[in-house]
Amino acid sequence: MSLSLDELQRFATALAEAPERWRHLVRHTGDARVYEQIWDDEDVNAWIICWSEDQDTGFHDHDESAAGIAVVSGRVREDRLALGGEPVSREIGPGTTFTLPPVAIHRVLHAGTGPAVTIHCYSPPLRRTGAYRVAPDGTLERESQSFEVELGAELAAV
Amino acid sequence: MELVIFIGAMSVDLHQHVWTPHLLEALARRDRLPFVRRTDGLTVLHGGGELPYVIDTAAESADRRAQLLDADGVDRAVVAMSSPIGIEALPHDVAGELISAHLDGVLALDARFDAWGPVPVDHPDPADVDDVLRRGCVGVSVPASALAGREALDALGPMLERVQSHDVPLFVHPGGVAGGPPHEAPLTEPLWWRALTDYVSQMQAAWLTFAAHGRRELPGLTVVFAMLAGGAPLQSERLATRGGPALDLADPLTFYDTSSYGPGLVDAMAGWVGPAQLVYGSDRPVVEPVRTGRDRTLMDNAARLMGAVGATA
Repeated sequence: MSLSLDELQRFATALAEAPERWRHLVRHTGDARVYEQIWDDEDVNAWIICWSEDQDTGFHDHDESAAGIAVVSGRVREDRLALGGEPVSREIGPGTTFTLPPVAIHRVLHAGTGPAVTIHCYSPPLRRTGAYRVAPDGTLERESQSFEVELGAELAAV
Repeated sequence: MELVIFIGAMSVDLHQHVWTPHLLEALARRDRLPFVRRTDGLTVLHGGGELPYVIDTAAESADRRAQLLDADGVDRAVVAMSSPIGIEALPHDVAGELISAHLDGVLALDARFDAWGPVPVDHPDPADVDDVLRRGCVGVSVPASALAGREALDALGPMLERVQSHDVPLFVHPGGVAGGPPHEAPLTEPLWWRALTDYVSQMQAAWLTFAAHGRRELPGLTVVFAMLAGGAPLQSERLATRGGPALDLADPLTFYDTSSYGPGLVDAMAGWVGPAQLVYGSDRPVVEPVRTGRDRTLMDNAARLMGAVGATA
């Protein structure tokens, strides 16, 4: 059974508070975000992501999955895509967890100085994502892709 | 308040029992099960669902039990309540008084003994977790039946969250819940019967409940299952063929004490859950420890577990 947003919030927070599950996986490279899976069951899966300066997911959605994201260390910024205006942004620091419903289109960027570590939980388990890009004629396009591409790769920002 | 620090080089036995005069006195004052009767120089324990058990009070003296640590090569032992006699399942306040007497006795032993903090499972109250930790217990213990099944887990949930928030381990020991057998076992029953039937199934049910439901709700809780959880992880193939969920057998925060088992099942479990998840627990004085061929590593693992969770009180 899928987790509610409240349950995702609690789960992501609890994982962030259980470093025995992910401490050994933390490493930072300047080339790409480092991501490692730390949870996988029938209802929820989760990754730890290690961010270095200026790394950015690009705008994407999580297909059918809601998400809970906990910041363990450092800072990240979340932008929600808005039509005809600036994205709705918030910057999140250590000890903070936020959630987003499956309908959200967002990007997460490294913020502040120094590396960041975040924990990302998805329910139902993340299988595919949608990446957004602006076509040469100015129209917005969505490309369906595997979650591994989304978690690890740099995407062209909208 | 005593500060307890487990150091990696230490050898720890995570599962012993001690019948202290404090608990025996409190049980002798009772007229319902479980109780103690002293007749003809014998101290006899009568517990719900159990055969009468003669306690060797001389062997239970603080000095003799400390000598036993030396004989086993154990630096520290953590003492659990003997949950199968049913104390934790008694009405909340009655259980609380007996638990308090038990802790009075255990915490007065040689400083090399530490205590698991038992908690009443009738109307479970997170404040009881705070109380036993404040008294100096290094973790919290519950009888396995209190964790057997979705409803039981829900009832215990707030208390388990409190254990998790204190960052101390939970010890799951065979034992029943309220409404369990108030009668003694039939005298024709072999002494080993309950240990090979009820205890095994209680541990398996608790492990399945926690692995299938509790782990996601309590991802930061360190859990130690006594007696290799009755070998429950070895049933995972059957779990799959009967339509159960895929479980993470190598969960890094789930540990198993090896009490009463020898190299056969201990080696098999090491293969299934990983050797680092197995910890030394002897179940003294109930059983004489069996040599596993891994005892030194198991004792180190037990010390590391207690150190890793910052077992301070």
